[in-house]
Amino acid sequence: MAEIKVEGLHKEFGVGEDRVVALENVNLKVNGHVFVSIVGPSGCGKSTLLNILSGIETPSSGKVTITQDNHDAEPGYVFQAARLLPWRTVMDNLLFVQKDRSDETRARCQKYLDMVQLGDKVDKYPGELSGGMQQRVGIARAFSIEPDVLFMDEPFSHLDAITARSLRRELHEMWSHTKKTVLFVTHDVGEAVELSNRILVFAKGGKLEDDLQIDLPFPRDPAEEEVAVAKAQVLRKFEELDLIAS
Amino acid sequence: MATAVATASRAQRGLPRILRSPRTARILFPFVVLGIWYFIYYTLDSRIFPSPQQVAVFMWEEITLTSGVRYSSVAENLYVQFGITLMRLTIGFFIALIVGTIIGLAMGVSKKVDAFFHDWVMGLLAMPALVYALFLGLALGFTNVGPIIAVVLAGAPFVIINIREGVRNTPKELIDMARSFEVPQNKVTRHVLLPSLMPFFFAAIRYAYAVGWKGLVITEVFASDRGMGWTIKFWYDAHRAHGVIGYALFFIIFALALEKLVFDPLADRAFKWRPKMDAVQMAEGDFGGVQREGFLFIEDQEIEEGADTTVAKGGNF
Repeated sequence: MAEIKVEGLHKEFGVGEDRVVALENVNLKVNGHVFVSIVGPSGCGKSTLLNILSGIETPSSGKVTITQDNHDAEPGYVFQAARLLPWRTVMDNLLFVQKDRSDETRARCQKYLDMVQLGDKVDKYPGELSGGMQQRVGIARAFSIEPDVLFMDEPFSHLDAITARSLRRELHEMWSHTKKTVLFVTHDVGEAVELSNRILVFAKGGKLEDDLQIDLPFPRDPAEEEVAVAKAQVLRKFEELDLIAS
Repeated sequence: MATAVATASRAQRGLPRILRSPRTARILFPFVVLGIWYFIYYTLDSRIFPSPQQVAVFMWEEITLTSGVRYSSVAENLYVQFGITLMRLTIGFFIALIVGTIIGLAMGVSKKVDAFFHDWVMGLLAMPALVYALFLGLALGFTNVGPIIAVVLAGAPFVIINIREGVRNTPKELIDMARSFEVPQNKVTRHVLLPSLMPFFFAAIRYAYAVGWKGLVITEVFASDRGMGWTIKFWYDAHRAHGVIGYALFFIIFALALEKLVFDPLADRAFKWRPKMDAVQMAEGDFGGVQREGFLFIEDQEIEEGADTTVAKGGNF
């Protein structure tokens, strides 16, 4: 079982007058087959937290451990923009992050491309695909390494509403099927409610203000009353924490 | 603005498709030049200014070696002179490419190295070829070394600047992506860094070749007794304009052939991943996923009418 443990995490950028605190004394624990969304206003340190968890950035202080059955866990990452190599085909983009290019690895990549409905686009270059398709490749790439935990940083924020909705459904199916631990950054409360078991609310200054459980059955339709009510409750929490005004 | 565009579109719709294609425009250009040439020739009625036929006959005789003109006691002709120039260009070009790439990489990576070379590279870029042509003639006499150095001096600054910009524009977002997936550094170098440098490298090659060629010809005029530049000077001294224009046309034909037969296929091969772009995307510098600007970025794209414009714009990295 994958476990993410963050203890006393602190991150700041710049020095002197330019010093900006991105995360302040963040403590959290996530384990098992859960989908955890991190929400909050712009600049509250959501993406910084994911960057530290995935090793792109180092913390100023504090401790982060990500384990799978007491061993180092392997993380996968889906970015805000797909971040594909434009000079490599779809298949080569997936193979780029693999440890080998064996037939077995290729078959695994093909399986995840099939899951995001791009099984017939393996020889296409990213520039030949739509924005939604590119993001699907990014999702397939992250799943293809069969990570223990998956970090997703506002992966649907660049997409139109219809494409984003369709991708959310696909993501939910993949998460249900693969039983991964997912940490998902979003600024869209509706998206968080639709996908998550748990929502972490961050405030400006990088403080973890609240940890909400969403106990509704999946799949969730945003048009359903109980989903809409849950969304309203989260937004009310935002108001209580004065996050909307900020 | 919108009205102007709409008017232009209506006007274009009146023309047959073949007349609207870029290929037709390209083919049309030499005929327009020929028309202007004839106009000037008949208007001036000059004994010095040659007719297109005179130049064409001259060029044909040079190609078939039937003109009877030999440029020295060792019976040198078009091919020998061209061979000499080409040999000098090739050697100088490769030296410029190697030296320029090394210095450009170092300048891109290190601010100190950049500070060390920056002003001198800019100075060399601004220096007229005539200055070092004269200096090389005085310093080295009529040898192959002077013209070769001229190619290096003309071409290397363009290679340096392009490679430096290429290094500075390495896509950090893709490198971060690779790091988050724990991709080994050698794989990142092969699959991310080198391909991202390719557009800048190709721009460097084309510019180094073009300006090296110009520097070489000027140097051959002043500091050589052989080569194409010297041959143009030969016809200038003989007051035969058809010789000057004829040899200039040999240059142009060779440059275009090299462009079409060598550079274009190489670029097509290296950049086959690029989507066909429409004019707006070209103007915005959107190169299918990686948004960045290359100094002297000259890799062109064939813009086809009715090309697929559903291509996604690259992510805002």
